[in-house]
Amino acid sequence: MSDQHAAAGEQVLVCDNVSRWFGGLQALKSISISVRRGEIFGLVGPNGSGKTTLVNAVTGFYPPQEGDIRFLGTSINRMKPHRVAMQGIARTFQNVALFRGMSVLENILLGRHIFMRPSALASLFYWWWAQKEEIAHREKAEEIIDLLQLESVRDEPVDVIPLGMQKRVELARALCAEPKFLILDEPMAGMNQEEKEYMVRFILDAQEALGLTVLLLEHHMDVVTAICDRVVVLNNGEKIAEGPAREAINDPAVVAAYIGKRHDAA
Amino acid sequence: MFYRQSGVHHTRYQTARRLWPLPTDQRIVWLLLALAVAAPFYMSDLYLTSYMLPWLIWSAAALSLTLLMGIAGQLHFGFAAVMAIGAYTSIHLTRAGVPFELALIGAGLMSAVIGCIFGAAALRVKGLYLVMATLAMQYLVDWTIINVPAISGGAQATLSTPSVSLLFVPLRGDTALYYGALLWAVIVTLLVLNIKRTSFGRALVAVRDKDFAAAVIGVNPFKYKLLAFFTSSFLGGVSGAVLAFCYYQAVTPEQFGFNVSIQLVAMVLVGGLGSVIGAFLGAGFVLLVPIILTNVVAYAAVAGWLTVSSNLLAHIPLMVYGGLIIGFILFEPLGLAKIYDNIRKYFLVWPFRHTQS
Repeated sequence: MSDQHAAAGEQVLVCDNVSRWFGGLQALKSISISVRRGEIFGLVGPNGSGKTTLVNAVTGFYPPQEGDIRFLGTSINRMKPHRVAMQGIARTFQNVALFRGMSVLENILLGRHIFMRPSALASLFYWWWAQKEEIAHREKAEEIIDLLQLESVRDEPVDVIPLGMQKRVELARALCAEPKFLILDEPMAGMNQEEKEYMVRFILDAQEALGLTVLLLEHHMDVVTAICDRVVVLNNGEKIAEGPAREAINDPAVVAAYIGKRHDAA
Repeated sequence: MFYRQSGVHHTRYQTARRLWPLPTDQRIVWLLLALAVAAPFYMSDLYLTSYMLPWLIWSAAALSLTLLMGIAGQLHFGFAAVMAIGAYTSIHLTRAGVPFELALIGAGLMSAVIGCIFGAAALRVKGLYLVMATLAMQYLVDWTIINVPAISGGAQATLSTPSVSLLFVPLRGDTALYYGALLWAVIVTLLVLNIKRTSFGRALVAVRDKDFAAAVIGVNPFKYKLLAFFTSSFLGGVSGAVLAFCYYQAVTPEQFGFNVSIQLVAMVLVGGLGSVIGAFLGAGFVLLVPIILTNVVAYAAVAGWLTVSSNLLAHIPLMVYGGLIIGFILFEPLGLAKIYDNIRKYFLVWPFRHTQS
């Protein structure tokens, strides 16, 4: 994509020897990655390899027991998830985590939460107080709805629209927070080819329009090789390969991790 | 027929965000408001003071609870205790010479602070454990009120409310009391309606639906659960004070016992969790059913069709609440509000039969 640009860019997210244990199981073994400004950074690996755990460590759900995580120079190691969000990190979830009791529009508007000042008093005096803020942020949300072509489902309850659409709504909610750094946890899981292509297009559009840095967790290698600038491959909590997408994925260790070695295939 | 979405076009977000975008809904709301305001002129004093007035105040209390249980998703089985704190605080404040308006705010704040103290402790647990923790609050508050003479005026004592005036109008006579209750019901209704369409309400629903997803977009789950407890307890406390001043005109600890808490939960569940109209329907239902039922059973007993002891007669409403809650959870989990919604949708698509959702 933008190799020269990415190579020169500063580091946005740095994970420095991050380790995480769950009881006796070490889910992350001294992982170090650094994501540069403006790139799409791929994080791949077989199921259970620690991709989501690493993301959960970054977003504050499972703080690492060892190592340090820095975002734009500040340590976000022990921050609670909502504090991490305020630093400008947004993410989506592997199994869609939308709020089922609300419409598509309300879900997307929640992405504006960190810029709003919610209070019961402002709601009580809605016509003099909250209305102006609500409408200003609605305009912002409509820009994202426009970008991701969600106009037709705007007022639908979020649980009646198809999965591909739900994933797009979740992306819209994340983008509404105007993040500097976007983590996409398997945004194409369970999608058909057409939805996948749409999603790739939306990710690229959003990245270009909003100047995002993206961390992409994905199993579809066609997608990874097509859009990722650099890739890190995890297996059993260890980093087994790193580099430009096509090279990293063709690394013998990666092929072995995914498909197995010739001698134990027999 | 009369419900039509066609022809309603929004060109500004302001109109799209209205509480009732459909003209028919607006007319219904204005009609209901007019009927409520005019009630003293066409209703007999008996119906006004013993049906309309308590219904409005209990609806306000049910709305306060539905904000916590329905919108924020935190169960509370000690809400009568919250109302008791409000009632006693307002009485002591007005007796000390504080103006009634300030006493109401003081009552709300006292309930909110005590509610939050219990809430903060209780919010470390979820679901059934939260129910137990709020039950503990009910019993602790009850015990404290009964056993501290400075609050209750001694065991078995009744504190009567001093005469006060609200916004320079003396709160005396049926009509004034009724308007006081109506004003409070309207304020709470508008507040809850507006909370539901603003960022505060969205954050509460987000925490209810998926707290980890809420955290990831910057909503602090614990803070919003606590804010829900605070707001809801504030409204509950003021509702308790309004109930004491406008309806009972005296308070005793038994008025805010555990069974009242269950009654409030029944109102919220039967009416429909998180629904504003549901709070009104639920409160009306829970208040009316025992009256009708007791009359029917008493009539049957008098006519000699069945024999019931007065003891059993007193317990029939409680059994019916239990039955109703189970029935609604099984057959219509969204309560009376959903039934209303179905009827409204039927007219909305008439003469066709299928609605969108």
